[in-house]
Amino acid sequence: MSGTAAAGHALDLRGLTRRYGTFTAVRGVSLRVERGQFLTLLGPSGSGKTTILMMVAGFVPPSEGQVLLDGADITPLPPERRHFGMVFQGYALFPHMTVAENVVFPLRVRGLGRAERDGKVRAALDLVQLSPFAERRPAQLSGGQQQRVALARALVFDPALLLLDEPLSALDKKLRAELQDELKALHRRVGRTFVNVTHDQDEALSLSDRVAILNHGRLVQFGAPAELYERPRTSFVADFLGKSNFLRGTVRGAQGGAAVLEAGATRIAQALPDGAALPSGAAALLSLRPEKIAVLAEGEGADTVVGGRIAAWSYLGADFALDVRTDDLGTLRVVLPSWRAPIRPAEGMAVRLGWTADAAVPVEEDAAA
Amino acid sequence: MTGGGHGAGPLARGVAWTTALYLLLPISIVVPVSLTDQRFLSLPYHAPSLRHYANLFTSEAWLGAVWQSFWLALASTVLAVAAGTLCAIGCWRLGRRSSEAVRALMLLPLIIPSIVYAVGLYRWFGKLDLLDRFLGVTLAHAVTGIPYVVITVSASLAAFDPRLEQAARGMGASLGQTLRWVILPRIAPGIASGAIFAFIHSWDELVMVLFITSRDVFTLPRKIWDGINENLDPTMAAVAVLLVVFTVLLLWADGELRRRRES
Amino acid sequence: MNALRRDAGWWALLLPAFLLMTVLYVAPIVQVLAISVTEPQPGFGNYERLLTNAGVQRVIGTTLRVCAMTTALALLLGYALSYVIALARPAVQRYWLLVVLVPLWISVLVRAFAWVTLLRQQGLVNQGLQAVGLVDEPLRLVWNEFGIVVGMVHYMVPYAVLPMLAGMREIDPRLLAAARGLGASRRAAFLRVFLPLSLPGLVAAGVLVFIFSLGFYITPAILGGGKTLMAAEWIKLQILDLVRWGMGTMLATVLVVAILATLVLFSRVVDLNRLFGGARA
Repeated sequence: MSGTAAAGHALDLRGLTRRYGTFTAVRGVSLRVERGQFLTLLGPSGSGKTTILMMVAGFVPPSEGQVLLDGADITPLPPERRHFGMVFQGYALFPHMTVAENVVFPLRVRGLGRAERDGKVRAALDLVQLSPFAERRPAQLSGGQQQRVALARALVFDPALLLLDEPLSALDKKLRAELQDELKALHRRVGRTFVNVTHDQDEALSLSDRVAILNHGRLVQFGAPAELYERPRTSFVADFLGKSNFLRGTVRGAQGGAAVLEAGATRIAQALPDGAALPSGAAALLSLRPEKIAVLAEGEGADTVVGGRIAAWSYLGADFALDVRTDDLGTLRVVLPSWRAPIRPAEGMAVRLGWTADAAVPVEEDAAA
Repeated sequence: MTGGGHGAGPLARGVAWTTALYLLLPISIVVPVSLTDQRFLSLPYHAPSLRHYANLFTSEAWLGAVWQSFWLALASTVLAVAAGTLCAIGCWRLGRRSSEAVRALMLLPLIIPSIVYAVGLYRWFGKLDLLDRFLGVTLAHAVTGIPYVVITVSASLAAFDPRLEQAARGMGASLGQTLRWVILPRIAPGIASGAIFAFIHSWDELVMVLFITSRDVFTLPRKIWDGINENLDPTMAAVAVLLVVFTVLLLWADGELRRRRES
Repeated sequence: MNALRRDAGWWALLLPAFLLMTVLYVAPIVQVLAISVTEPQPGFGNYERLLTNAGVQRVIGTTLRVCAMTTALALLLGYALSYVIALARPAVQRYWLLVVLVPLWISVLVRAFAWVTLLRQQGLVNQGLQAVGLVDEPLRLVWNEFGIVVGMVHYMVPYAVLPMLAGMREIDPRLLAAARGLGASRRAAFLRVFLPLSLPGLVAAGVLVFIFSLGFYITPAILGGGKTLMAAEWIKLQILDLVRWGMGTMLATVLVVAILATLVLFSRVVDLNRLFGGARA
């Protein structure tokens, strides 16, 4: 358990594909996780994220492609020879063993001596703060405690990688937030490479160094959480990771990093990120986050200004959420900090909305958006 | 049931009670008959007597048959449990069409009448020189006892979380270690149930024994069979009572095992 | 193949049972099938006897008649028993189940012996009937078809109950309460709701009892007293006493084919696993 940052290992997936008969669960997924990073595979159910994890763990052989650990091909190795720690969905604690017996299991199968075993088990239980519960059975523990036993069991043998299959999904919302912080702290402390699978976008954003977004078995986008949130490549990513308004328009004149889009009578000023080009006359799709839209005060201006009426609104504590109906852009969702908001929302109220040219991002349209 | 408060009607109850008596009374009649003071099958005339039990426990022929049956049942149960348990685990884990076919094959002895198997064995064991030998009967009873083990073990595996097996393998356990430390302890009650049924199966089996044994192997069912066909003496009733008691005890043990598994 | 190698260990677990079963079970049975077309001469001569030999035809007739009667009676008694068990309170259910399970596991020899004790000419039933003056002459209750059916139904009722009960337990008892609540009489609730839902279990039980009865040896042999011959005893007679292997194995083959064909025909409703899975108190 004497983990340092250098103890992590790098993981490479190359063209991983898995077919079940005629159904392709995962197609051509390639990505690389550096030593000590926290990678999350994020996607809706049926996106292939769990199949990828099972291929990394060795439970499911890939139909094509390779799994490399520090550059060495481990694809043909059976799971018991990969030395990966794994936290299973629902934890898979052995119900007929105590907490300590569960944690010692990986050491026992490796034939470690008693003294060495005891020391490591104690350290692992200390790490997750469960030492007082060593002699209990899993059924006598709460969900959060069970999850920590599963973590201790997966880490006790200094695994090359820690794999987590929806580790928080069995817990209620409040506990989930707490354990999310704990998991993050644990990752810092042990410094190992973690691979996590989840369908929960908040969990993915807050825990990970890298997030891989999957849909229908394909890798849609891979990058740091902020990069994915700020610059989604497709409408699916924009919609799955946080909320997004989608604006459709026709490109009218694009030059030098800026373009103007036309939607009905509305003109949208749009900055173009480096390298991006929007051919004039083509249809384009923009993703615009609700919190990047401002409600303009009298006389205030912005790069793009749109008028509309509040169709519905709700108070969320920190924010107001407004649905504003516009003539040309459909209904826009706006999130407005409630503290000193410029307006008191009311149904039917006329408002002017505005945003800067770099607020929205052009995205590719993919089916699931 | 508790939910509807809808019990069975008087007609159904009447038939059910009659059936229950029909099922149980003939079996219980052997108890008073075994206590008769006469030399022939009857109820006690003057006073109940234990003479037929005394007769049974001093008869070398009866005791010999009991012991032979016991050792046979034990040996064939060990074989059936070992083979049946491993097979059930393998089929459970593989869960393929092909392994399901293997499982179906294991159930064959429940379906095919033992008279057909006995006829086949008679010839087959003649070739293998296994007629009238302890080993031959052990093997025959073991093979036909496998289905009971496969069924009970499969039933307890159905309640076993397959992720536990994955977890063990993922943590580096070999197949042997996974079996010994994770799978077997969890399904032990199912194995014990299977063992009890395989034991009863061998202990009661007659048809095969009629074909493949003559003098050297002489089991308890064989002795009872001869008794029924030749001289119906009350010692038979005493044997019957002891067999009933023995079976009820085994069933009680099985019930206890299941209760423990459920708690 | 990669997947096969990965699972080699698990396949190896099947091996001991598979070898035992093929070498010591399937092989002898295949041999029975083979003998039926090779002895005394190769060909289907033995099977032609099915059409020409009155003795075989009589045995088959008796077997089918006794099996049909046994099945009908076992289903009738078993259905009532299952129905009462399924609707009983859980605490009471346990005792009713014992009524079924204890006879099921008690030696068939013991049970046949008990019936002989009761039903023979000097048996307890005849003694009782004569003592109260109901009959002058002892009735012939055993060593005929009547005795066989009494003993076989006794043996088969538990086998009939298990699949029917398993099916009935899956019927939501609230359905019956709902039917009564909607104005159905007890009879109507049974006929319109319970009976249709329990039908698959009834069919499964019927198939099972019938195929078990077809090849049954011990009870018919003892309670038939050698006078009423059924298939299994006839086979034994051919092999052990007359040494006519061809004829014996021919009828054995017919039995196996008939049983497997019935099972295949009803494979959708008969689940052996569930049957023995249901054999628990």
